[in-house]
Order: sequence, then structure tokens, then C-alpha cells
Amino acid sequence: MDNPLTLEPLFHLGPVPITSPVVISWVLIVSLTLGSILLTRNLSLKPSKTQTVLELFVTTIEAQIQDTMNRAPGPYRALIGTIFLFVLAANWSSLIPGVEPPTAHLETDAALAVVVFAATISFGIAQRGLKGYLATFAEPSWVMIPLNVVEQITRTFSLMVRLFGNVMSGVFVVGIVLSLAGLFVPIPLMALDLLTGTVQAYIFAVLATVFIGAAVGDEPARAPSDPSDKETHQP
Amino acid sequence: MTIDWWTLGLQTINVVVLVWLLARFLFRPVSRIIAERQAAAQSALDAAKAAQAEAEAANAQAKSEAAEQASARVAQLSQAQEAAKQESARLLTKAHNEVAALRAQTEAEIAKEREAAQAQMAREAGVLASDIAARLLSRLPDSARLEGFLPGLIEAVRKLPEPTREALLAQGKLALRAARAPSAEETTRIEAQLSEALGGPVTVDTSVDESLLAGLELDAATAVVRNHLRADLDRITAEVTQDD
Repeated sequence: MDNPLTLEPLFHLGPVPITSPVVISWVLIVSLTLGSILLTRNLSLKPSKTQTVLELFVTTIEAQIQDTMNRAPGPYRALIGTIFLFVLAANWSSLIPGVEPPTAHLETDAALAVVVFAATISFGIAQRGLKGYLATFAEPSWVMIPLNVVEQITRTFSLMVRLFGNVMSGVFVVGIVLSLAGLFVPIPLMALDLLTGTVQAYIFAVLATVFIGAAVGDEPARAPSDPSDKETHQP
Repeated sequence: MTIDWWTLGLQTINVVVLVWLLARFLFRPVSRIIAERQAAAQSALDAAKAAQAEAEAANAQAKSEAAEQASARVAQLSQAQEAAKQESARLLTKAHNEVAALRAQTEAEIAKEREAAQAQMAREAGVLASDIAARLLSRLPDSARLEGFLPGLIEAVRKLPEPTREALLAQGKLALRAARAPSAEETTRIEAQLSEALGGPVTVDTSVDESLLAGLELDAATAVVRNHLRADLDRITAEVTQDD
């Protein structure tokens, strides 16, 4: 079994080494994109069962964003939803024999954390302006500026490490048990990995939402004008 | 622990690309169709509200028209009742007038018939009285049928106006109707008393008229002097008729 802390390039594209997480991520991207195209090609006002599930998924994400950020979910829907889907798909890819989930490597988790970090800053500046966003570091007092700056880094780092630790440990446990016990013994652990992968995807998406929501602040009260911005509740 | 920065960069790019792809092919289409359904539902709701408002307006208009029709019906009914009342009063007045006219006409006819009946009764009574008087006179002597009435005739002649008497005298021969044919002696006596009453000599041309029953009647060109039972009966009959 390979050491998850080291990556060996599968091939090179010029000077760029292409590793297995990148390739698996490309496969996941293609799969998710093609699946999305296939599922959304026949959308209609009278929804089918598949469309109903899709709409339920999207409205659930929107409701989660609305409840967490207290803002219209439109600008954040794609980012949060994509993070959840990608992390979930990456975590569940361990079910395929011979495939190591990209999230079991630190670079993928770091890339996700970097994207969330950048999105937090960009959404905060877009919403508050540069000065307003920087002013949030002085809340509740200027004394808190160093702590708030450190918090920005540490919470991003914790986001990365939490996902990496959980997924990598699951992969390790399954590999160790498989090498020691036999073919079917790791199955319960793989099922546990499914649950863990789902929970980690949800946690990652929710924490990303919380971070972005903290950066943009609460939305002032206004009458909803865009139907896509309206609050959506799901049971 | 080492970080493969190429992998980190490629994975970052992969995540960003995936965000764009899923936004393009998954989240936007689904959100759009949800928004369209919400808009369609809102449109249907608005249309339903508009239809409801239209139905309520139509209902209100129908109620208003029904109220107007009811009011017009009441007015027409009242007008018809008033016209019927006026027509009834007119017909009643007309009937009263016709009844009054008919009653007056009937009363006039009854009065006329009554008068005719009374006249008939008077005539019959006169005839009856004549018959009775004739039967009673038949028990008296014949001299009483002339001589008893001669003084009255002479007295009446005396009371005639002077010009009339002179005209009678100038006539000389006077027509005399008697209940029976007078004897020569009775004729002489009649002429003598008439000559005395007229102041000159006159003669009489006597004719018999049994309808006189008893008495005499001097019938001249200028005057008629009656003193007979028939004239008395006629006068009595006339008086009785007038009294009734």
C-alpha cells in the first residue's frame, strides 16, 4: 500500500507531474458533469421523479445556506453544492476497488480549503468592501486583530486536516484490516467509511458555509424580488 | 510530510472548474426550473385571484341587476295596481251612472205605464160610471133627463160674456143636443128660456145624443154650453185622475 503522505506521479504533462488524485478528480469531474447534463436535459415544469430528487437536493442545499447564513442562497449555491458533491463523490470513490479517494491525500483537501479560504475573502470583500471586510478583523475590539488573523488560517487548516484525517484513517484502517483478515472482513468498515464520508462532506460544506457567512455578515431585511433568492424550506 | 504543489494547484483548478461546470449544468438549470415553476404557480395564483375578483364583480353586478329588476318590478306592479284601481273606479262610476240612468228610465217607464194604467182605469171608471148613471137614470122619469138640467143650462148662458151672448143671439138658430128627443112643449119652453136669457128671440135645432145620459148641450159657433151628466162624469173623472 502506498504511503498517503507521498505522491508518485502517474505521468507527466510537460513539466507537470500528474498524480492519481488529479486523475481520479478528473474522472469525478467528468462523471459529475456528464451526470448533471444527463439529469438536467429534460427539466420541465411538471417534474419527473429524477427531477424531483434533483430539486429536493438543490432546495435542501439552499435551505441549509439560508438557515446558516441568513442570506439569499443564490450566489453561494454552486460553490457549497459543488464542494459537498465533490467531497462526497471523492470519499465514496474508495468503494471502487483499486481507487484511492482523492480526499485521502492532503493536496486535495488543501485545494478545497484554499478554495473555501479564497471564497471567504472574495465574498467578504464583495459584500462589505475591502475596508469593511478588514474591519471585521477588529471585532469586537482591535485587540482581537492578531487572533482573528490567526483564526482565519487555523480554521482553514483545521478544515483541511479534519477531512484529510478522517478519510485517510478510514483508508488506512480498511487497508490494514484487508491485509490482515481477508477479503470480506473490511466490508463493515467500508460501510462505516460511507457514513464517515457523507458526514465529512456535510461537515466540510457546512463549515464552508459558516465561514463565508461570517465573512459576509447578516443580510439586511428586504422584500424578496428574485425568486431564486427566496427562502426555501424543506421538511 | 511533503506537499506536492503541482497536485495542490491542479486540484485547486479542478475544484474551481468543477464549481463552474456544476453551476452551469446542474445548479442553474435546476434553480431556473424551480423559479419558473414558482413563477408559473404565482401566475396561476394571480390568474385565479383575478378570476375570483372577476367572478365576485360579476356576482355583485348580477345582484345589483337583480335588485334593480326587483325594484322595477315593484314599481311596475305599483303602477299596474294604481292603473287597475283607477280603471276600477272609472268602471264603477260608469256602472253607477248606467244603473242610475237605467233606473231613471225604468222609473220613467213605470210612471208612464202607471199613468197609462190610471188613465185606462179612469176611462173604464168613466164608462162604468156612465153605465151606472144610465141604469140609475132609467129609473127616473124621462122629464127629469131634460127639465132637471134646463135651469143649469140657462144659468150658464146668462153667465156668458156679453159678446158671446150677442153672437149667439145674432146666430138666431142654435144647435141643441139632448139626451132624448124633447117634446114640442119642452122645445118651446127651452126656446123661451134661452130667448129670455139672451135677450132676444132664438130657436133651437135639437138633435138626440144618448151619450149625454141626461141634460143638454148648446153647441154654437162661438161657444159651447154644456149641462149634462156626461160632462159631469168627464169632469169628475178628470179631477180624480189629476188627484192620483
